[in-house]
Amino acid sequence: MLPRIVLLAAGLAALAPVTSPAQDELDADAIVARANLASYYAGADGRSEARMRIIDGQGREQRRQFTVLRRNVEAGGDQQFLVVFSQPSDVRGTTFLVHKHVQRDDDRWLYLPGLDLVKRIAAGDKRTSFVGSHYYYEDVSGRNPGEDTHVLAGQDEQAYELVHTPKDPASVEFAEYTTWIDRATFLPMRIEYRDERGQAIRRVEVKKVEQVQGHPTVTASRITDVVSGGYTDVQFRYIAYDLGMPDELFGERSLRNPASEWLERPSGP
Amino acid sequence: MKDALLALSTGRPRLVYLLTLLLVAVTAALMPRIHIDTDPENMLPPDQSDRVFHNQVEEWFGLHDAIVVGVVNEGADGVYTPQTLAALHRVSQAVLQIDGVIPPDLMSLAVADNITQDGPGVLRFEWMMKEAPTTQTRAADIRDAVARLPLLEDTLVSGDGKAAAVYVPIERKDLSYAISREIEALVADETAAGDWHITGLPVAEDTFGHEMFVQMGISAPLAGLMIFILMWVFFRNLRLIISPMIVAMATVIVTMGLLIGMGFTVHIMSSMIPIFLMPIAVVDSIHILSEFADHYRQGDEPGAVMKKVVGHLFKPMLFTSLTSAAGFASLLLTPIPPVRVFGAFVAFGILLAFLLTVVFIPAWVVRSSPRSLASLDRLREGADAQSGLARALRRVGRFAYGGKGLVTVAAVVIMAISVAGLLRIQINDNPVRWFKDTHRIRVADTVLNAHFAGTYDAFFVLSYEDPSAWADYRSLAGEALAGLAVPPSLAVLLESEPAADEMDARLGAIIGAADDLSFDTDDPDLADALDALMVAAEEAQTRARYFQRPEALALVESLQVALADTGLVGKTNALPDVVKVVNRELRGGEAGDYRIPESVPGVAQALLQYQSSHRPQDLWHMVTPDYSRTAVWLQLTSGDNQDMTRVIEAVDAWLAEHPLPEHVRGRWAGKTYINVVWQGEMVAGMLNSLLGAFAVVFLMMLLLFRSVSWGVVAMLPLTFTILGVYGFIGWIGKYYDMPIAVLSSLTLGLSVDFAIHFIQRSRELHRELGSFEAMAKAMFEEPARAITRNAFVIALGFTPLFLAPLMPYVTVGGFMASIMVLSGAATLLLLPAVIALGRRLLFPAKASRGVESHVA
Repeated sequence: MLPRIVLLAAGLAALAPVTSPAQDELDADAIVARANLASYYAGADGRSEARMRIIDGQGREQRRQFTVLRRNVEAGGDQQFLVVFSQPSDVRGTTFLVHKHVQRDDDRWLYLPGLDLVKRIAAGDKRTSFVGSHYYYEDVSGRNPGEDTHVLAGQDEQAYELVHTPKDPASVEFAEYTTWIDRATFLPMRIEYRDERGQAIRRVEVKKVEQVQGHPTVTASRITDVVSGGYTDVQFRYIAYDLGMPDELFGERSLRNPASEWLERPSGP
Repeated sequence: MKDALLALSTGRPRLVYLLTLLLVAVTAALMPRIHIDTDPENMLPPDQSDRVFHNQVEEWFGLHDAIVVGVVNEGADGVYTPQTLAALHRVSQAVLQIDGVIPPDLMSLAVADNITQDGPGVLRFEWMMKEAPTTQTRAADIRDAVARLPLLEDTLVSGDGKAAAVYVPIERKDLSYAISREIEALVADETAAGDWHITGLPVAEDTFGHEMFVQMGISAPLAGLMIFILMWVFFRNLRLIISPMIVAMATVIVTMGLLIGMGFTVHIMSSMIPIFLMPIAVVDSIHILSEFADHYRQGDEPGAVMKKVVGHLFKPMLFTSLTSAAGFASLLLTPIPPVRVFGAFVAFGILLAFLLTVVFIPAWVVRSSPRSLASLDRLREGADAQSGLARALRRVGRFAYGGKGLVTVAAVVIMAISVAGLLRIQINDNPVRWFKDTHRIRVADTVLNAHFAGTYDAFFVLSYEDPSAWADYRSLAGEALAGLAVPPSLAVLLESEPAADEMDARLGAIIGAADDLSFDTDDPDLADALDALMVAAEEAQTRARYFQRPEALALVESLQVALADTGLVGKTNALPDVVKVVNRELRGGEAGDYRIPESVPGVAQALLQYQSSHRPQDLWHMVTPDYSRTAVWLQLTSGDNQDMTRVIEAVDAWLAEHPLPEHVRGRWAGKTYINVVWQGEMVAGMLNSLLGAFAVVFLMMLLLFRSVSWGVVAMLPLTFTILGVYGFIGWIGKYYDMPIAVLSSLTLGLSVDFAIHFIQRSRELHRELGSFEAMAKAMFEEPARAITRNAFVIALGFTPLFLAPLMPYVTVGGFMASIMVLSGAATLLLLPAVIALGRRLLFPAKASRGVESHVA
């Protein structure tokens, strides 16, 4: 008699989170959509200065410093990015321009002042290193949520836990990944990529979130290559939103000579 | 001492058995603690400067030992067929899953990156072969792409397109045998795609270690069995000839057990201890048994006969053991740790064998029943004294004493020819050559090096270090900050001088801190100072990043050209290759743009693009992240030390004509280079140790015979043998390598043995018989037979070694035979001839007058 009751109770307990019609419960796709907006679409436009410390498996350091300007063409949709390098001094002025498209391949350009060259880069694999760091290009501009299927694997008071599986496994180096998305800000606070054997190969951790003009904004994060032990720390500083950036700023002509007013730091600490 | 030992052995044989058993049991119990070490790097002491630098280089550039896996398809399209590429892809992916493999550094077409033109003005970065192509056209596209990438061409795919390679970096060298077996299993399923081969120095070394273990278990016992059979032929007494085998086994077990128990690793060298000790341990026993067989008559008390036999063999046996031990102990003079351990333990083993022989053999004989000894009678009365051997030896004796002039002249001529051969000796080694040429590793080595630029690695490392760089920056910073309160976040960074390898990171930190401070400060003077500080730091950083400078890359490029011109190098890979490819593709892909950009920012930005690939870490195999050191990777088709030495000489000559700029230094690293270093040390070390041993043995001869003339005579057979053996090696063109170098001590130790016995007995017989002629005749009875028997047993006993798949074992077998033949001949021909020539000097006044009167 007794075992039956226990079993019944256990079954009820297990079912509880799924069946209880909790207040405004979101499905996985909706959570991902909101997380995408929170991470990449704050404000109509935005600027920030990134400082990267790239540490290899032996603890050796490289630094990069660049300004990122971003403009949303439409919320949750197409976007434009301009990335201008300032450090190290021998790559100063190197500029990337990205027109991110949700429905088709992105357009990418590159300006190298040292070689006096503007090049278009074919939309190909976006999972290549961003300037030698442990970040991929896709981490900078955001992975299209449509590339993966999302499953809500669990949740607690703090975060949603989602497991994402690529629709085209051959296009990526991982088998699946899990994100832990903050319930309050919808910022993914931790991401873990795993290989076919289920072993973690890569990890993204948000180290610091600050409110900037009412937007919860990541100001420090670390990405770790679990295999080599190397990692990249990024600090985002001098952040400002809704500056009214014009469309021309993200034109091809801007590559060689981006208008300096947008690169200057906003006054006052 | 002699009497005490004999009293023990003949009086208390059971106690001797017990003690021997106890000793063997205790030391055998230590054996499971064995630790194998097959790394030739350990031929150098851990603090040897080339080895330290080599390890430093591996760390700087993230280099690992690599297994080389190759697939060969001799078809028209070579490896560029969907089938072979698919197999290559599957094998690469499977290898990545093997434990102990370092996945990010694996090199294969399956994980290579590609940079191509995607229409006018458009660049494309993608995997070369994310998935294997399904059509011949796509396979041909991959061929075209590889042809445009000099870092891949002839490294990942051979120039003729017939072979493709996978470089499998491994965490530890001692994993390479196990990993290579796993890879063998993988490729066994892919034979339809082509012939697969696995090689690389770590595999060769680790496989050698594995097989040497097998050989210790096969060759050594087989040699033991052969010796056993030969003794049976000579003595026809099973009971008697078991005893030398027990002595040999006990010697080997106790010596190896002690070596292991004392915490020494079993290295390539020490693994050969059993095979060296076996003959030496048996030699003394044969002398005892031979003489015992001659003296024992049925009804004799075996103990009494034994006491007499050992009594007069004791001194020569002690001295032969001491001289052999001295020969091996002289290896302690070499600077090579495993050779020192080898020398010390063989020397110990020889003395142990002597002790066991004089204690155990008599005990064994005493415990034998009279019936089991009876057959010795038949042996002596029947066959032995009338045997063909006995008759032949009498003729040899008459010839040697009679034709003394002829024999001596012939010996001098042979020695002269030997010296000429000695001067032709080629010093060379290559661990892959330790396998017979039919061994799968030798085959793989030959096939892959015929197709590729080479599976042997060496690195020429260029370092830039300006000792005053920090002081220069510090003084500029001091000027800029003069009179200002330096904020603590900056002050701490300016305080101490960073290590050379941390300079770049420190300057980066200073720039970062100054940047933060200048944003926060309201003080215009401080803001200006911080600006100046940053500019100076950037300039110092750019200056220290030497190998981003176009002129530095041009220097590396010209060194690469010089290396290619030598014709000795399959290929070089270095930073300029990367910079030139990226520059070409950025500028539109025309061949004319395959060049180094003209400015530092040009180079830096090309490299930034290279780092925006799937494999940014590949850059750090060629240059350190602070750009102060760069490595030129040489691929060599031969791992022969001679070939590496020629490359080193070519670079030295080039550097003499093109001196490196100020603050730049060049130095060699890589396994192939390390092998050259320890070989150099060994050749010099061996010469010293051989000369040292020669001197010690001569002193011992003086001590033994208390006569300078006899001492000199005693040195003749070993001089003749050493010259003969090494002269022969010189003439047939066999390389003087590690095993051959070490065998010089064995030669010295063994070839003096017969001389000692011969001279000792000659003098004794001369005293007993009182006449030179009688002595001369008697010497070619039992004493000559003992020597000949010994020579046969050892020479033939080691013939099973010729079947071993490992060359050092084959070499030992060949040496044993040569040493026995030469020193036997020298002892039985040259010694009597010289003794006859110098009889007035050697047997002075009183005795020789007696002989003359007898003749008259």
